[in-house]
Amino acid sequence: MPYKKLRIVIKNRVGYLLLDAGSRFNKLSITTIRELKRAFTQLEEDMAANVIVLSGYPGESFAVGADIGQMVHFSTNDALHFAELGQSLFEQIESCSKPVIAALNGITMGGGCDLAMSSDIRLASESLRIGHSGAKLGIITGFCGTHKLPRIVGKNFAREIFMTSEIYSAAVALQMGLVDRVYHENEFWQKVSSFAERIASRPLTALSAAKRLINAAEDTDLRTGCLLEREMATHINTLQKLN
Amino acid sequence: MPERVCTIQSKTNGITTVTIPGNHSASARDILEAIRHQTNALSSKNEIKGVLLTGSARGFCCCQIENSATTGDAAALSGFGQQVMFILEKIGKPCITAIEGECSGLGLEVALACDFIVASRAACFGFPGIASGLIPFCGGSQRLARLVGKSKAKELIYSGDLIDAEEAHRIGLINRLHPEGEALFLAEELLAHICTRSPNAIRIGGEVVNAGYDIDLQTACMLERDAFALCFSSFDQREGMQAFLDKRTPQFKGE
Repeated sequence: MPYKKLRIVIKNRVGYLLLDAGSRFNKLSITTIRELKRAFTQLEEDMAANVIVLSGYPGESFAVGADIGQMVHFSTNDALHFAELGQSLFEQIESCSKPVIAALNGITMGGGCDLAMSSDIRLASESLRIGHSGAKLGIITGFCGTHKLPRIVGKNFAREIFMTSEIYSAAVALQMGLVDRVYHENEFWQKVSSFAERIASRPLTALSAAKRLINAAEDTDLRTGCLLEREMATHINTLQKLN
Repeated sequence: MPERVCTIQSKTNGITTVTIPGNHSASARDILEAIRHQTNALSSKNEIKGVLLTGSARGFCCCQIENSATTGDAAALSGFGQQVMFILEKIGKPCITAIEGECSGLGLEVALACDFIVASRAACFGFPGIASGLIPFCGGSQRLARLVGKSKAKELIYSGDLIDAEEAHRIGLINRLHPEGEALFLAEELLAHICTRSPNAIRIGGEVVNAGYDIDLQTACMLERDAFALCFSSFDQREGMQAFLDKRTPQFKGE
């Protein structure tokens, strides 16, 4: 089944998942979220890709939040189902066995910010404009942002971002720790590709084990985490000898 | 006597400034009593939209930590201090600390229990208590470690050294760094801006951020999902989204 809201390109072991909703901004509508889920399943299964890059390049936005025109009519029940749909996508990205890199090419707001945070690494263009506009719309985010954001930038920056609904620049996002690297607009895509290709050249078993372990570290006590690490390291070692 | 250690100023824009410079004759208990009293009073008033805590150029919540006669007294003071910080954390409105001078000991404990800190270049931060054998006692060790990481928290608490505002900004202890003498004014401006947003979304969002931080991610996301759905039965949600679609400024009611 073809996609309406995104494109998939695989090149040099990197699977590019490019949001392209055909309008000025990539809105996370119900259709877009469903297509993203399908695309992640496809790329996880496709052995030609070791790493997934999620972006809205070369468009103006990475992704903005939900479609307000759609959302304004939501009942509490609709809202609950919508949050569940979004959360299931983010959980799929986190548990995906391949590293996921968000390449933030431009405007990244609300649900788009949550989408970026469910990725493993965030690379930004200097043209990045990022924020969470829930408090301006009379809502909070429903896509795990209230928990992801404090875990990434700390509670104080998270509260500031939610309370002000302000739009932040790439430099401020870098200072807060919301993005990992910032590249100049002109060399953005080339830098993203070479970064992704470098990671894609590593053995997938090791990448995948590292991803799982680091995700587990967030919610596991240190001793159990270390036990997991020992088991995984041993397991990988055995696998490598067999190969 | 709560009135002795703090002054209150409420403006028509809904912002109340609580000034607690403290002094060297005030006791920690006096300051904590004052904060508890003011927090309870401000929290129940609907006309108050945001709270700004500040000190003077000299300091914020300066006090003598009384030499407790017994271990029991010390435990009681710590228990009381922790309880007051939880009350402050649950004030239910945006609450920012603006720092122009020294913010140390009890002052830093209080600042850490607010939403975030805005400071000027003249500010400095730390827990100097270690010199007299003291550690933070109002939850400061826990809040600091969660905010800036374990290593930085240990460095500050073990050494007792004060760090300057620039270093505090670099490690994420303060959110915004301003020129000397401008922290209070700019913090108030920021708070006024925050007060144009939905009070309902801010209150629910703050609660979910706080509650979700100490539980596993899956449970926290369920909590968020339910709180998100709850927003869709509010006036603020309908007004906020309609205003967005009409390209006008929303008029929130906080309900």
